[in-house]
Amino acid sequence: MENSHLLSPDSIKEKARIIRKKIIEMNSHAGEGHTGADLSETDILSVLYFHVLGVNAERTGDPDRDRFVLSKGHGAGGLYCTLSTAGFFDKSWLDTYLQADSHLPGHPVRQKTPGVEFNTGALGHGLPVAFGLALSAKKQNLTWKTYVLLGDGELAEGSNWEAAMAAAHYKLDNLIVIVDRNTLQLADRTETIMQLEPLSKKWEAFGFEVYYADGNDPEELLKVFQSLPADNGKPKLILARTIKGKGISFIEDKAAWHHRIPVGDEVYAAIKELE
Amino acid sequence: MKKGMRETMVDVMIEEAQAGTNLVVLVSDSTSTSKIKPFQEQFGDKVVNVGIAEQNLVGAAAGMALGGMIPVTANAAPFLLGRSNEQVKNDICYSETNVKLVGLNPGFAYGSLGPTHHSIDDISIMRGFGAISIYAPQDPRETANILRHVLHSEGPVYIRLDSVSVEDLAATAVGFLPGKLTVHRKGEQLVMLALGTSVHNCISAAETLESEGLHVSVVGVSSIRPVDYEQLEQILSAHETVLTVEEHSVHGGLGSLVAELIAERQLGTRLKRSGIDEGTFAPASPADAIRARYRLDADGIVASAKELAGKVKV
Repeated sequence: MENSHLLSPDSIKEKARIIRKKIIEMNSHAGEGHTGADLSETDILSVLYFHVLGVNAERTGDPDRDRFVLSKGHGAGGLYCTLSTAGFFDKSWLDTYLQADSHLPGHPVRQKTPGVEFNTGALGHGLPVAFGLALSAKKQNLTWKTYVLLGDGELAEGSNWEAAMAAAHYKLDNLIVIVDRNTLQLADRTETIMQLEPLSKKWEAFGFEVYYADGNDPEELLKVFQSLPADNGKPKLILARTIKGKGISFIEDKAAWHHRIPVGDEVYAAIKELE
Repeated sequence: MKKGMRETMVDVMIEEAQAGTNLVVLVSDSTSTSKIKPFQEQFGDKVVNVGIAEQNLVGAAAGMALGGMIPVTANAAPFLLGRSNEQVKNDICYSETNVKLVGLNPGFAYGSLGPTHHSIDDISIMRGFGAISIYAPQDPRETANILRHVLHSEGPVYIRLDSVSVEDLAATAVGFLPGKLTVHRKGEQLVMLALGTSVHNCISAAETLESEGLHVSVVGVSSIRPVDYEQLEQILSAHETVLTVEEHSVHGGLGSLVAELIAERQLGTRLKRSGIDEGTFAPASPADAIRARYRLDADGIVASAKELAGKVKV
């Protein structure tokens, strides 16, 4: 099925700006949140939900929809603000983020939130599940595609590489993996904690076709998604270079903002940068 | 006639696939462990081998369930629940995916291969997770009934499938109902409660005891979650003494479940748990030798029952 928005790159950029504002407001209201991670993925999610993914907020259970798994489950806030903006639920829910029995828990829960496909939060789980989804589509001769967004820090989890090996073995060209390559994880630079580079070579060696994009540029991202060949027997990997905390100057590229929220004057300053 | 539990599982899979059930069997280089070959010969496209990669086995099963299929995983219980513990917890239980996990050759079935291959903690692990049903069939007929039941009902399931070949028991002919305990024999002096196929040794032991004038009840427990607590309470209240028998640690398995009920409902039933002692591994020895050491074979069960009944000095 087709995406119900199919926005132009400029319109997607405007949506991303709105989503970033919501992230700042929601996280500061909740008093907690992974602000850096949410802002890092905003443009990728905007391109997916406003153009690429075959999804429709009115038909969340449609069996023909494309499936999206947020493997970096700590980016739940970014996903919620995107889903809300795309019409999956009322924006008033954002005020309940992290509250008791909220529809919007700290990590995605499919039983709680329309549009959420899978419960993540522990890292290294999304790719094996996405592999299973894509394989089930192949087994049943179904044309929907599976998209999964991985954080770069979680690539140290071995389960990713089990699934990567299997995705190539089963020739899953209906699987599109996106890595949010912001080079920061909870404690420090990814390369300081555990060297990932040469990252594209690793994916190539595992049998993926590797594509590159500025992960904070909706226009470039959209072009890459639209250029992906179908039916060539190879799973796809988009290495999306991003800036953690993208869009707010004092949050950008700082590990400290992985699990931090703007407080006091920071909220005003952040919103001002997004006006 | 004796029949293997795994062979029975595969027969049911063939029957279900022929009937159009949208199942897919996931293995992790465990085609021989699961005896899946006859199924594979007919339905090769319904078998997914992920290689020796249990985390991916379980994560992929969750994904295939979300894609509308009914995945059944089939590999050795220790690797299923040990290596992919977090995938079982999050991807299957917490996410409530429609996956049927079959833990093959649990307990100390792998005997001399040692504790790396033993699974004396699977019931304990699974009872710690929410949302999943836990079954341990007693014989081939119940294996078939449980498998048919779970393939036609939504939700995550763990099946502890013993490695042995055994005969069908008369009492399982009534069919399988989740939660229900199976009463195989009724006696007044003691009740034996057994997990899965351990009930066969209990029945043999009860026959020996009968010939020596000791009348005992034998009850099989194949449904750990759900379990009919009212029926269990009735059984425990009707006896002064209960002996639980399981090829599992006495911690967290059937013995623990029974102890919890006795304590919480103040039933006052005296309890003896036979299993692998708390805080120890079973040794790397042939399974029969382990059974003998921990009094899980018929002779050992007879000896425990006599002690409990006061026929011999403890």
